[in-house]
Parts: sequence; C-alpha cells; structure tokens
Amino acid sequence: MRQSSFLCIATVGTLTATLTIIALFALVIINLQALTGRWSEDVQVRAYLEKPVRNAQADQLRKRLGSIDGVDEVEFVSREKAYSRMRQRLENADLLDGLSPEVLPVSFDISLASELRSREGVLELLPRIKAVLPNADLRYGQQWLERFESFVQMIYAAATVLGGFLLFATLFIVSNTIRLTLYARKDELEIMALVGATPFFIKAPFLLEGAAQGALGGGLSLGTVYLLYQAFFREGLGSLLFSIGGYEIHFLPASHQLAILGAGVLLGLFGSLSSLRKFVKIG
Amino acid sequence: MNTEAMIRLYDISKHYRSDSAALANIDLRIDKGEFVYLTGASGAGKSTLLKLLFCAERPDKGQILIKGRNITRLKSREVPYLRRTIGVVFQDYKLMNSRTIFENVAFPLEVQGKRRIEVGKKVYQALKEVGLEERMSRYPLELSGGEQQRIAIARALVVGPDILLADEPTGNLDINVTLEIMELFKKANARGTTVVLATHSQEMIQRFPRRVLTLEGGALVRDESC
Repeated sequence: MRQSSFLCIATVGTLTATLTIIALFALVIINLQALTGRWSEDVQVRAYLEKPVRNAQADQLRKRLGSIDGVDEVEFVSREKAYSRMRQRLENADLLDGLSPEVLPVSFDISLASELRSREGVLELLPRIKAVLPNADLRYGQQWLERFESFVQMIYAAATVLGGFLLFATLFIVSNTIRLTLYARKDELEIMALVGATPFFIKAPFLLEGAAQGALGGGLSLGTVYLLYQAFFREGLGSLLFSIGGYEIHFLPASHQLAILGAGVLLGLFGSLSSLRKFVKIG
Repeated sequence: MNTEAMIRLYDISKHYRSDSAALANIDLRIDKGEFVYLTGASGAGKSTLLKLLFCAERPDKGQILIKGRNITRLKSREVPYLRRTIGVVFQDYKLMNSRTIFENVAFPLEVQGKRRIEVGKKVYQALKEVGLEERMSRYPLELSGGEQQRIAIARALVVGPDILLADEPTGNLDINVTLEIMELFKKANARGTTVVLATHSQEMIQRFPRRVLTLEGGALVRDESC
C-alpha cells in the first residue's frame, strides 16, 4: 500500500463515492417504504346501505360483519354521525345550512386485518362482505389504492434496477482501479511466482488490502451519508414526509449500515480477485 | 564421477510461431552436480530452454524430467513446489525494489513457511556468502549492478536449491564483476548444486571451462565436455 498511495486513495475514494450514492438511495427508499407502510394502515372498506336501518338491525349486521375472517373492526355510521363528520371536515359549515342528515346514507366502516390492507386483500374480502350486505354500495378508494400500489411497486423496481446498476458499476470501477495498482506491482507479482510462492500466498495480501479498502470506503460513505442526513435530510425530506404522512424520518437502521460495510468489503474483495486473476499466472 | 541424472530432456520442441521453432527436438542429459554452459547467438533458444526447466513455459512436444519427475505433466498448483527446488538468476536481477535486501533474500524462505529465526540465520549466511551482509537493510536501487546480481544469487541459493539456472547473469556487468559472480556460481557448484548457465560470452567459457551445450536456431548442435 505504501508504494501506491495515490491509487489506494483513488480506490477508497471510488468506493466511498459509489457506496455513498447507494446508501443515500437506501435512506430515501427505506423512509418512503415506511411512509407507504403507514399509509396502508388506512386502507378500509366503506359499505353504504341502500336504505336506513334500525339500531337493532344495524347492531346485528355489525356483529355479522365483525365475524368475517379478515375483518378487524366494524363501525356503524348513522346519518347523524355522517352529518357530524361532514361538518367537521368542511370547516365552512355554511355550506351545510339547509341540509338535513336525512339526505346522507347510513354506512359501515370496515377496518381490515393488517395482512389484507392491499388491493388484493380488499378484492378477496369483498365477496364475503357482499354476502352480508348484498345491496350495499362498497367503496374502498379503488383508484387511490391502485395508484398507491403502483407507486410502491415503482419504488421497489427503481430500487432494484438502480441499486443493481450502481453495484455493477462500482465493481467495474473498483476492479479497474485495483488493476492499475496491480499493474504498478506486476514485476513484484512475477518475482513472487518465480521463487515458488503459491497463488494464495501471492493473492492473500492484495485481497486483504482490497477488503480493508472496501471496509474503509463503506465506513466513510456511512459517515458522509450521516453528515448529509443531519445537515439536509432531517430538515428537508423530514419535514416533507411529516407534512404528507405524519411520518418522522429515520437514519439507516443498523442492519443496513452493516450491509453497506459488507458491500464495501465484498466489492474490494471481488474487485481485487478479478484483477489478480489476470496478473497472477503460474505455469 | 556422479552419474545420477538431474535433468533429462526427451525430444523437446517449443514453438511461439507456427512457422519457426524456438526449440526443436532437443535430447539432453545433465547429471547431478554438473556445471553446464548453454550458449548460442541471441534467439538460439537458450532462455526458452531455461524457462521450460522452471515451468515458465510448457513444451509443445517431448518430456522433461527433473530428478526423475516428469515436469511436463505438472499441474499449475504443483509448479510453485518445483520452483522451490530451483534457483533462478536473470540478467536484469528481478529484485523487488520496494523491499530491503534482507526482505528480498528472505522472501523464498517465507514462501516456504520457514520460522523467522531460521529465516534470519539463513539470510545472513547467504548474504555473507556473497559478501553483502552489511547491506541487508538497504534497498536494491541503492546498490550497484554487480551488487544487485549478488543479491539475486543469494536469493536463489538461500533455499539450498538442487538446480541453479542463470540466464545471462553477467550480461550487464564488467569483467571484474563478472569474475566475482562466476566465483559464486563455482562455489555453489562445489557444494553440489547443478548449475546451468546461459551465456553468449566465449571469454567466460574460456576462463572457466566446463561442459558447453551450443544451440542454433532452436537445435542442439554441439555438446562439448572440457
């Protein structure tokens, strides 16, 4: 390492830069996933009844709906309750002047078990609700739910494609930077082979060096991302996420920090290994 | 007289290009403890023959036996172990310039996993043999060409090799240094090491007469014993 400090710095620098991008990407994705996860908790079915029902009948229906497998909670919304909710939502209550609760339909708010809070889950549950309330108009925010799920899927796809591309690009860059280091020391590698060193004996120090550079790059990238998180993300992205979902931004969890370090070590190791194959040839 | 064969070549041929042979149909026997010159003009095949002996190259045809073992069938992973029994000296010394003289000479022993105390003793002894024990903490580029070649010889001999191969070891050195280097080869040979020295210097051959193998266009054309 002592004789090629410039190339060593270049390797660590490349690893740090690319792992920083990956870690930043992970930070944003993880927080968006957590936010969308919180949104999914709001997914529920609202069943509007064709005709008003009496309290006793409503209670009976509520019990039958509550006993459906996959239903978490059921709330009966009477005309008065619906009217009062609408009044709360519309701050300008003048709009409701002259409007009586009788124009509003009665409904049931059906909360779903957490594993069914998705479009597929709702579609699975609808026939069972329909069996209890055959004439009810069932609403579950179809369009919103579909958009929301497409958004989540898009995030996953982008994470996979961009993450994969970044890792591949990093491996390519690191491998080539390490190759320059090895090229500067190819005479030494040749001499080692001449005096009877086994490939492992020759490669081991370079692999260790690659792994150490990878770990250093990983550590520096985490440090950089943490500084960026403290300086910009907590304020900027944090307040944005809080305003749209009441969600507070978090730094990368320990498992992800370890994964970034591990990725650095593996990139350094495989970058060295692929280059060494070209330079260490015995017999 | 020693009659045990150290090196045997049977019908060895090597081509780098399809239209010309670097070596053609070489049959050869070198006994244990012999000192042999390999001579011929540039491109005659001297270096190629030496490379075949330490498996830096493989022959296209024929068999090579070192101490009765067929090295043309060696697997790549077995080559390092063969090389630990062969010392090689080159015209351009091939020293690791980023390492001290001690580290250079110690390296073949470290490769073999020798203990540090044994390494220290053997390196000191080898450097004393070549008269450079006081330079062990210096770096190769701080030494003259002759001194660097002596270090290379110490590195080749430190493991107590069965065979010492030298490819134009005095090609870059003046006559006085050449004489010193030749003395080191003679001493190694006197201790029982088989020496194969490639040179095109007739003066050296005349000063230190030994068996001479002459190559021409890849063919062994003369085998003269002194």
